[in-house]
Amino acid sequence: MKLQFWGVRGYVTTPGAEYLRYGGNTCCVLVCGQAGELLVIDTGTGFCQLGDSLLQREFRHGQGELTLLITHTYWDHILGLPFPGLVHTPGNRLQIYGPDNTRGSLELTYDGILSPVYSPVYGLAHIGATHSFQPVSTEPFQVGQLTVRALPLSQRKHSPIWAYRVEEGDRAVVYITDVRYIDDQIWNKAVGFASGAQILIHSAPYTRDEHVEDYGHSRVEDAIELAIEAQVERLFLYHHAPTRTDDQLDALVARYRAELASTGHALVLDAAAEGLLLDV
Amino acid sequence: MRHLGDALSAEAPPPAQIDLLITHTHWDHIIGFPFFAPIYQPECSLEIYGLRRTQSSLRATIANALSDPLLPVALEDLRATLRFHEIHEGLCFELGPVRVRAARANHPYRALAYRLETDEASLVFIPDTGPFHTVLFGDERVDWTGEPQQSSHDELRELAEMRERIIDLARDADWMLYDSQFTDEQYARFPHWGHSTPSQAREIAEAAGVRELLLFHHDPHRADDEIDQLVAAQRAVARPGLRVHAAYEGMLLRKQKDER
Repeated sequence: MKLQFWGVRGYVTTPGAEYLRYGGNTCCVLVCGQAGELLVIDTGTGFCQLGDSLLQREFRHGQGELTLLITHTYWDHILGLPFPGLVHTPGNRLQIYGPDNTRGSLELTYDGILSPVYSPVYGLAHIGATHSFQPVSTEPFQVGQLTVRALPLSQRKHSPIWAYRVEEGDRAVVYITDVRYIDDQIWNKAVGFASGAQILIHSAPYTRDEHVEDYGHSRVEDAIELAIEAQVERLFLYHHAPTRTDDQLDALVARYRAELASTGHALVLDAAAEGLLLDV
Repeated sequence: MRHLGDALSAEAPPPAQIDLLITHTHWDHIIGFPFFAPIYQPECSLEIYGLRRTQSSLRATIANALSDPLLPVALEDLRATLRFHEIHEGLCFELGPVRVRAARANHPYRALAYRLETDEASLVFIPDTGPFHTVLFGDERVDWTGEPQQSSHDELRELAEMRERIIDLARDADWMLYDSQFTDEQYARFPHWGHSTPSQAREIAEAAGVRELLLFHHDPHRADDEIDQLVAAQRAVARPGLRVHAAYEGMLLRKQKDER
């Protein structure tokens, strides 16, 4: 399978010259199976340009099929959805998995962000593509030859935040964001879920020595320790803080690569960058 | 708005009061709000102005956008003092030395346009509006079948009146920021989205006697070089005395002394 980053920023978009190399769009990752399956994990603003690229293919003619895996419904993970042309092209099919919340279903949440007070779309009913919502569960499911596993790792006041694992044969990509490792139980679940993956994408907006308020996120060091314990091959730091410039991300990666080298760990460490395309 | 908030917070002392004028609450006009540092500062008061609607209050619209399951921010937990002021088109009010006027723009679910004026200068802000000759936007969704629809006599009259009020709002302004999102070809395909083209912006600027037109609300697909070309094309046909620029991040508008 292939993987491509379309948005790697957390919280809010970061336009500006100092963010060009890693990119300013919020969370969005594309996973393509060998048989042409298309899975998108989170639809932050990165989904806008991903949509433009997909519109060069069968989606232009209303013959595209896309599976969306949504971790949770905070702005930086969903607000890109209504912008791409493919979403407004009849015939295209969107299958959307994600969490319901205590205030309503996933579908109702999407309908709300498209309501006329927030969006000229005037609600989900006016999205041209055929779409269906499926509350995500821990039951694995298939998208073509790809196996998708999901796990509710963290709990917010009104909804859980899910992690996803996409497998093709013995290859696996794991996506974990907005998690708080508040106890061993959550930590052990995460280790088991990421176990043996070729690639772990993990939110890591801040380091332990940065004095920021707890926004409900694990730190860079947590991501690295998790990747080591779960024997992951390659870790991508993700959901970068809006204040983190390209040069600062370079320095951050260099610092932790040096630590890994000095302790003899084989883990490959990178910061996710918009546009980066990988074979898994 | 994140960068603006950081810059304001770095001032010594930071501003004690900030007035926010909201044209409408589509996502691209409110998404910076929770990342605006002054809302977390107890010594700051925010006066928030926006369109009065019968369907929902301005406060509820902002509060719902910021709270679970969309974000974890509760308005009542913000440290700044927030006051919401629901206003209507045609309203004139004063914010210190600044005289403010609001008018209706032609945009889905209605939006406002603002004129800000001091004794020294005037600026008009019309970020989202369609032109005033075909589609009339109100509270209902306008469906587009791909064919121009025949507007009723009443609709055409309302559009003409709205245009006159927008021109009146912009009359002799030093600067006008105006919706220029669409190319002519885009407008022909998506007239129901409520955006204008650079030539439609220029026509309003010329009718109102504006001194400088700033093309604004650039389409997400419009690259820097393309925006340069749009500006050049409008300059080539602009009436003498009208300057044309494209707004860009970081741009500072300041009236030269000899212009006053």
